[in-house]
Amino acid sequence: MKKKTILSQKNKAKDLSLKKKTQNNLAETVRLQTDELKIREGQLRQGADREKLGADREKLAEEQIHIRTKAMESTADGIFIIDAKKSDFPIIYANSSFFSLTGYSRSEVIGKSYFLLYGFNANLRIVEEIKQTLRLGKSFHGEMLRFKKNGEKYWCLLRIAPVRNVKGVITHYVGIKTDTTLMKQRDAEIQEQREELLHVTRVGKLAEFVSSLAHEISQPLTAILSYAQAGQRLLKDREPQLKEILQYIINDDQRAAEVIRRLRSLLKKNKPTFETLDINALTNDTATLIMPHITAKNKVIKLELGENLPMIQGDRIQLQQVLLNLISNSLEAMEDEKDSSDLLIRTSLKNADTIMVEVKDSGCGIPEENKPKLFSHFFTSKPDGLGMGLSISRSIVEAHGGHLEAENNPDRGATFYFTIPVHGNINQ
Amino acid sequence: MSTNAAIIYVVDDDVSICRALGLLLKSNGFRVETFTNAQGFLSFKHPKLQSCLILDIRLPNINGFALQALMAQHGIITPIIFITGYGDIPMSVKAMQAGAIDFLPKPFTEKKILHAITLALSKSKVLNKEQTEVLKIKQRMNTLSPRELEVFHFVAQGMMNKNIASKRGTSLQTIKVHRGRVMQKMQAKTATELIDFAKKVGLTSSQV
Repeated sequence: MKKKTILSQKNKAKDLSLKKKTQNNLAETVRLQTDELKIREGQLRQGADREKLGADREKLAEEQIHIRTKAMESTADGIFIIDAKKSDFPIIYANSSFFSLTGYSRSEVIGKSYFLLYGFNANLRIVEEIKQTLRLGKSFHGEMLRFKKNGEKYWCLLRIAPVRNVKGVITHYVGIKTDTTLMKQRDAEIQEQREELLHVTRVGKLAEFVSSLAHEISQPLTAILSYAQAGQRLLKDREPQLKEILQYIINDDQRAAEVIRRLRSLLKKNKPTFETLDINALTNDTATLIMPHITAKNKVIKLELGENLPMIQGDRIQLQQVLLNLISNSLEAMEDEKDSSDLLIRTSLKNADTIMVEVKDSGCGIPEENKPKLFSHFFTSKPDGLGMGLSISRSIVEAHGGHLEAENNPDRGATFYFTIPVHGNINQ
Repeated sequence: MSTNAAIIYVVDDDVSICRALGLLLKSNGFRVETFTNAQGFLSFKHPKLQSCLILDIRLPNINGFALQALMAQHGIITPIIFITGYGDIPMSVKAMQAGAIDFLPKPFTEKKILHAITLALSKSKVLNKEQTEVLKIKQRMNTLSPRELEVFHFVAQGMMNKNIASKRGTSLQTIKVHRGRVMQKMQAKTATELIDFAKKVGLTSSQV
C-alpha cells in the first residue's frame, strides 16, 4: 500500500509539470509512465524470486547433507570425527562400519576419547605417535595391527586429517580406517606362490643344466670307452701290459659315467603332477604374480581370455613357469624400446582339442640369425642369461603334449605361443 | 658268428664316436659304415646283406626317430639300436615301441653293444628272408593277366568260385579255369598257400 501512495504522488507531480510544458504531449507521458511501471513491477517480481531462491537453496543443502551422510554410512571404511577442541579427543561421530569394524557399540564410542579404543594390547609407541601428530595439527597415515573389542586381531590402514574453520583453527579431526586383513593375506599368498615358482624354476634350471652337461660329457666318454676296447681287441694276446693300461682307462671311463648317472638321478626332474586346470585362471594368477614387476618397468599387460574354454590336464606350477618365462622374456625385449609398453596375453581355442596361449610383445623382435637356436640349451642373447629358460619351457610344453613356437609380428615385436591338448598328453 | 656277410651302420653327429665305434666293430670283424647325419645314411646305396643300424637319437635336422620313419619310406629295412646321452625311461619306451632292438645309454661297453648287434643281425636275417619272399611273390604276380589278377584278389578275400562267377557275371567254368592258372603261375599248391601269399604282400588287409 505504501508503495502505491508514493507512486501516485510522484505521478501527480509529473502531471503538473507536463501540463505546464505542453498539453499535446499526453501520449508521451503515458508511454513514460507505462515504462516506469514496468520497471517497478520487474523490481517487485525480482524480490519475490529471491525469496523463492533462498528456500530452494536450503532444500538443496539439506539434500546434499542427506546424500553425504548416506554415503558415509554405506561405505565399508570406518569413518569417525574427533572434537579437536577437547584435550581428550572425544569422538563425536562414527559411521556404522566403524562400529562393525571395531566391535564397539555406539554408546561405547560416541563422546569417549578416541585413544581409549586402542585398549591394552595396542602398540603404545604407535598410539603415542598418533597423539603427537594430532597435537601438532598434522595428518597421520599408517598401517597397524589392531584389536577388536573381542580381542580379534585385524590389520588397519588408518588416515587422520585435521579439519579447520574459516579462520584456520583446527576444530575437528576426521579419520578413515580400512580393514586390510584380507588384502594382506592375499599379498602373502601371492608372495608364497612367487617363491614356490622361483624355487621350482631354480631347481628346474639346475636339473636341465646337469642333464645337458651330462650329455656333453657322455659323448667323449663313449668315444674313449670304444677306443680303449677296440685297442684291447686289436692287441689280442700281445702286449699284456698295454692291455692292462687300456683296462684302467676303461675302468675310469665307467667310473666317470657312474658319477654322471648318479648326479642325474639326484636331480631328476620332478614328474609333473597333472590336475584339471582352467587355463584362464592360471593365466590370471600368473599375471597377478608378475604384476609388480610389470608396473615397475612402466609396462602394461593386457589379457584377452577366450570364453568357454575347456579345462585342460596339466601341471599348474610348470605351466605357470612357462608363462612367467615367456612374459619376462617379452619384458626384457621391450626394456630398451621406450615407446613400447604393451604386452598381450591371449588364450583361445585353436581347434576342438587344442588350447592356444599367446604372449605378444612390442619389443625388439627375434633377430633372424637367432631363430634356429632359440630353443637350444645354453643359447642366450642376454649378457647374464644361462640359455635355459626357453629350452625348459619347450620341454615342459612337450611333456604336456603341446608345442612351443615363436614368430616375429608383422609390425613389431614377437609372439611366443604354445598349445596344450584338451585331453592331456596321451603318453601320460 | 658269421660276420663277413654283415654290415653295421653307425649314425652319430659326433665324429669321434663314429671313429671309435668304427674301430671297435671293425676289430670285431664287422664291415662298418659311419655317417654323421641322417641324410648321408639315406642316400647310401644299401647292399643286400644282413645289417643293423646304431643310431643316435639327437641328430641335427633329422633326429633318430624321424630317420626311423624315413627309412620305411625309402624301403631300407634294417633293425635299429638306439644310443643316447640323454637316456630317460619315456624315451626308451618310445624307441622300443617303435620297433628298436635295444636302447643303450651312453657310454656303453663293448659287451653290451655286441650283444645288441647279435640280436639285431638275427632279426635282420628274418627280415631279409621275408623281403626276398615278398619280392618273389610280387614277381609272380606280375605274370598274371588282368583277369587272373582280379580272380586272385577275390580268392584272397576268401570268396568261393560260384560267388566270384556271379559277381563277375561269367560262368563257373570260366572262373575255375582262371583260378587254375592263378595257382599255377603263383606256384601255390593249395588255396591256403595262395591266401598266405596274398597276406605276405599285404593284399588281404588292404581289401577288407
